[in-house]
Amino acid sequence: MLRNYLMTAWNVFMRRKLFTAINLLCIVLTLVVLMVVTALLETAFFPRGVEGKSDRFLQVMMLDARGPHTRINSSPGFKMIDKYLKPMKSAELVSAVSRPRTVSVYKDGQVHALQLRYTDAEYWQILDFRVLAGRTLNADDVAAGRMVAVLNASSARQLFPAAAAAAALGQKISVGGQTFAIVGVVEDAMHINAFADIWTPITTSPSSDYQQQLTGDFAALLLAKDAADLPQLRDEVNAIARTVQFDDPKKITTVQLWADSKLDLFARNITSSRSADSGAATLLAVIAAAMLLFMLLPALNLVNLNTGRIMERRSEIGVRKAFGATSAQLVWQLIVENMLLCVAGGAIGLCAARVVLWWLEGSGLIPYLKVDMNLAVFGYGLLLSLLFGLMSGAIPAWKMSRLDPAHALKGNA
Amino acid sequence: MFRHMMKLIWKRKSRNLMLSLEILIAFVIVFAVAAACARYSQLYRLPVGFAYQDVWSVSMGGGGGVGGIKQDAATYDRFKRSLEAMPQIERVAFSTFSPYRRQIMRTEFAVPGGGPRIEADMLDASDDYFQVTGMRLQEGRWYSSVDDGAAAIPVVINRSLAERLFPGQSAVGKQFSDSEPDDKSPRMLKVTGVIEAFRSHGELMKPVNFIFMRFAPPGAAAPDVNTIMLKVRPGTERTFEEALVRQLKLVRNDLSYEVAPLTELRALQFKEELAPLIIMAVIAAFMLAMVAFGLFGVLWQNTTQRIPEIGLRRAIGASSAQIYAQIIGEQLLLSSVAMAVALLLLVQLPLTGALGASLNWPVFFTAAALSMAVIYLLSLLCSLYPGWRASRLSPTEALHYE
Repeated sequence: MLRNYLMTAWNVFMRRKLFTAINLLCIVLTLVVLMVVTALLETAFFPRGVEGKSDRFLQVMMLDARGPHTRINSSPGFKMIDKYLKPMKSAELVSAVSRPRTVSVYKDGQVHALQLRYTDAEYWQILDFRVLAGRTLNADDVAAGRMVAVLNASSARQLFPAAAAAAALGQKISVGGQTFAIVGVVEDAMHINAFADIWTPITTSPSSDYQQQLTGDFAALLLAKDAADLPQLRDEVNAIARTVQFDDPKKITTVQLWADSKLDLFARNITSSRSADSGAATLLAVIAAAMLLFMLLPALNLVNLNTGRIMERRSEIGVRKAFGATSAQLVWQLIVENMLLCVAGGAIGLCAARVVLWWLEGSGLIPYLKVDMNLAVFGYGLLLSLLFGLMSGAIPAWKMSRLDPAHALKGNA
Repeated sequence: MFRHMMKLIWKRKSRNLMLSLEILIAFVIVFAVAAACARYSQLYRLPVGFAYQDVWSVSMGGGGGVGGIKQDAATYDRFKRSLEAMPQIERVAFSTFSPYRRQIMRTEFAVPGGGPRIEADMLDASDDYFQVTGMRLQEGRWYSSVDDGAAAIPVVINRSLAERLFPGQSAVGKQFSDSEPDDKSPRMLKVTGVIEAFRSHGELMKPVNFIFMRFAPPGAAAPDVNTIMLKVRPGTERTFEEALVRQLKLVRNDLSYEVAPLTELRALQFKEELAPLIIMAVIAAFMLAMVAFGLFGVLWQNTTQRIPEIGLRRAIGASSAQIYAQIIGEQLLLSSVAMAVALLLLVQLPLTGALGASLNWPVFFTAAALSMAVIYLLSLLCSLYPGWRASRLSPTEALHYE
């Protein structure tokens, strides 16, 4: 039976090539936009590569300290991480890393604005950077405060043009008045903790003020032994937050810290939630609703086109009805036809989405973007296509099934 | 003719309902983009209050943290002297943050004695700030060394704050406070001058109340004033930065300095501010393309279905131009109905003030006119070919069509 449906569908599609093309184009356009968004979200929340251990580590990026008249909303400072979070029991590794900040690198009379992060040695163990040449920073560098730096591939190319990655090794660069020797070159990375152009040991910072700061611009990465330990990690961070002592205990009475996954972090930024629940579930629901809403216009468009097509097929439908096909069968047939078209559109859309993502990666709109289209994205794409087919096929199919066979046969329904 | 068209549209109401729903949604999408564009162009034309040309900003940062650098008067003085000694630098000022940076300090202010509490953005700035950024005074005078030792902190406020705090009178010389209402000895601020406007995030920022507080190092405990604003000689190259940082390091070696000409910060701000709009516009363009294809297809099918009707009209004397006009007219009428409904819904936004000042009446009307033009153009383009096709049918063929 399905084979018959497929044959009919094929014939119908081929009979009106222009309309099939228009239909297909609408489907592809819609699905490309949705798939690109899905792929970007997937890469942001469930990354592979450099932050591939994301399912095992949490990040502490926000601190909320309150007193009777004061409220501080900031990132944790180095002291907060060093004194309170580093001794954590449930974490395998704890890293303190500064947010990227813009520094000027002077080279041959030119100024390059690069993003610099101060890191400790644990940072390089938690994140899996791909080293192209040399090495990353180790515990000795940090302990001794050696003036060494790791560059990413793009910056190495920018500073030392026309040379292989290895050629940058051992070279000296002047960063905001300090001179660093380059010990390693790593692959470009976009992700929230990995993004930077240049990394140096925290101990090379021009002033040691950071060691006394409870609030600042640092982030903590907490690596658990495996994903199941994450709730324990969260609880421990909450418990630690209660023990934090500010310089003036009367001014600041309560301190809150949150260990968040990537999705939680994003949700917390948007909802500015100050409770344990970051609002991630709500955010996902909103994203899903927005996607459905986005499909509404193209679906209506397809409904209009399909209604017209069905009117052209009323004699066929009349014959089938006269020979005893039920409405349900006809509805089913039409929806299958439509879904078939949508899945075909989805396949083209997936390829087109890949091309769009390549373009996006190459365009530099989002620096160092690298999106991998994995099975999950493919699955979402298929789901989106089927959903879209259902949305756009149901109304015309229902309309057609109501046709009166006598009128339909005569062709003047 | 008009009634005839209405009748024809009504006859096919279920199909036309779907079609007009589609046009309605398309209209709303175009409206959203048009409204954002109209709002931005409206903001762009408002005075920004300062000149960004040949102004550089230097943000000073401590080793590992933001803020928290407490500097004494002597350090500021040394910074000022050593920078002014450089031939490329004309003037030096200090402030909490630079224009075009994503920072804001907002506090409530009130006239003591039960005045309303009014929110305003504030900036601590030294005396030279106004000359460095080329600001213009409307009333009163800039604060300066004349104010040394004054009991109340001298401030310069913008016109909108002056009008809110002291409605109907000149604000110059008046005092107000930023302390809590129940404070026994409130900190007083005295207005020395009024400026027309100041928008710290630049051309695309919505107008806010603004207040400049005098920052004079030996005086009150000023918060972290960590930005140096420099007026450089016109034509100073970007490479001057290296020499500049060297000079700054001579004063304080333990700080890090981030140098940026305002032109660069401005370009970055524009890029960031306009990026969502560009993405929205690209998606809307895709959507419109889709609607155009769909509309074209539907109209084509409609005219095919209506061949017998058209044949009959031709047979009893309608000219081909009349058929053409009918097809296009029907489509335009349908679009008008859909847009009227959409406008009826959208007009609730400025009426209820749901989006505040961002969707004010001028923006609403501009956006409505723009999006109506786009949708009419789209309807016209999509019905041209199907209409032409219908009008070319010869009556004999059309009547025979089955």
